[in-house]
Amino acid sequence: MQFSSQLLESAVNAFAQLPGIGKKTALRLVLHLLKQENSQVEQFSETIASMRKNIRFCSMCFNISDTEICSICSNPSRKKEMICVVETIRDVIAIESTQQFNGVYHVLGGVISPLDGVGPDQLKIESLHNRVKTIPAEELIFALSPTIQGDTTIYYIQKKLQQDKLKITTIARGISFGGELEYADEMTLARSLQNRQPLEHYVSR
Amino acid sequence: MLHLEHISLTQFRNYDKVSFGFPGRITAFCGPNGVGKTNILDAIYYLCFTRSYSGRTDSSSVRIDSAGFRIDGRWNRDGQHHSTVCILRESGKKEFQVDNESITRFSGHIGHYPAVMITPDDIELISGSSEERRRFIDTLLSQLYREYLEHLIRYGKLLTERNSLLKRMSEGVMNDSGLLDVLDEQLINHGNAIFLFRKNFSAEFISGTSQYYQNISGGNEKISISYRSVLTEHSFEQVLKTNRSKDLALQRTSSGVHRDDLEIFLGEFPFKMVASQGQRKSLLFALKLAEFETLKAMKGFSPLLLLDDIFEKLDEQRMMNLLHWVCEKNEGQVFLTDTHQERIRSIMNKFKIEYQLIILE
Ligand SMILES: [Zn+2]
Repeated sequence: MQFSSQLLESAVNAFAQLPGIGKKTALRLVLHLLKQENSQVEQFSETIASMRKNIRFCSMCFNISDTEICSICSNPSRKKEMICVVETIRDVIAIESTQQFNGVYHVLGGVISPLDGVGPDQLKIESLHNRVKTIPAEELIFALSPTIQGDTTIYYIQKKLQQDKLKITTIARGISFGGELEYADEMTLARSLQNRQPLEHYVSR
Repeated sequence: MLHLEHISLTQFRNYDKVSFGFPGRITAFCGPNGVGKTNILDAIYYLCFTRSYSGRTDSSSVRIDSAGFRIDGRWNRDGQHHSTVCILRESGKKEFQVDNESITRFSGHIGHYPAVMITPDDIELISGSSEERRRFIDTLLSQLYREYLEHLIRYGKLLTERNSLLKRMSEGVMNDSGLLDVLDEQLINHGNAIFLFRKNFSAEFISGTSQYYQNISGGNEKISISYRSVLTEHSFEQVLKTNRSKDLALQRTSSGVHRDDLEIFLGEFPFKMVASQGQRKSLLFALKLAEFETLKAMKGFSPLLLLDDIFEKLDEQRMMNLLHWVCEKNEGQVFLTDTHQERIRSIMNKFKIEYQLIILE
């Protein structure tokens, strides 16, 4: 692609760095911005810069938040004793959009995979442990990928948290989790939350 | 009954455009080496398994200076007409159509058009490492039981995770024996399931193989085959526990069903050490025919039999014994290749069996 302007070229390249955006699409977006008023574009870039600069992670659940404690954790009508354990923030968004879950979340930040260099210490497992003890939690619902790494993470946490009173369940499988959850339709996701299984029946042993 | 009635190849391997009709049960392809006999059998294999038998990539099967290939097959299954088409698009994307509908999961097609192929390279199954024999058993069991495939995949993934953890632990990072326990528990679960499948399956399979070997070799040679697994004598839990420090030192899992083997003896010596080429080939056929019988019993009809260059280095008696089974006892469709027209003619005449001879030049 040949450009008559260095500024144009840099802007196109910047957009093309985004996932799913090729050079052609990037050019279309940049040309669109060019048609807009200066102030409009300034507001646009400021929104993004401010989002990046000011966003925080909730110190309870590690969900994205504007404040120290996120709006889900600070909502008094949500059941703090019921914690849904997920891999990423995208999973929180997917489950929230079903409007069927009235507990709180815990974002692990991934799943255990020595192969990928991810051990328990790299995930928010220790803080989950503390949370479960202090609340104290009644039920942990795991909504992790139906993979070896997802299973390993669940078993590992279960072992760490062996407490008689804590009920550990997993949502019905068949849907992919860990980022792909957002593609599952809301009905399916809502149903699998309702039909969650106690961990004992999770994998046939 | 399963019968391939017609095949056409476009830009596949050495062929630009070619088609063949197969009216009869037995078809023989004859021609010098390098003329592309094996390619036709592999094309048939593609129609059954959506991929090459030889393990060649799809893109390397495109004819030189062409883009993409197409293999068209027309079938008769129990009196119903069907079609399977494998297309490699110019973009490199593979499509597979069954009765004019593209299928999304290729693995779901496998087993519907069963076939057993035997090529000269398969002798590795006898002469090669235990990995070859495990792959053979695994491929067959996976076609029979989807559950087995599931256990196998999970076992393999857990093993890689465990080996990575062993490596990291011995390097002093991720020092978490609790995590190793969790991986072990899951590995034990799948390992035990795999062991049970293999054990139950091998009893009958081994006796079938031995019987075929007797038939092909003439009955005077005594072979014994046994399924060897560390789990025969020890619990997997115990094995992993005992080996843990050794595994940490080696940075890999030294023992488990991933080391299983079929152990074969000729008389009192290991088969690999003492068997002649003819004996090796006989055993290869015996294993493949046992595979054939297993598939047939499950499907209720005979798989296709694809025999590539099998007469080479096989003595007259073994050849006749084998063909007696292939042409007379077997009821399914057979494709075979040979370099010598005369050899095929004289053999087929002895059996007084109808066949089609296709000469490739
Ligand atoms: Zn929160």
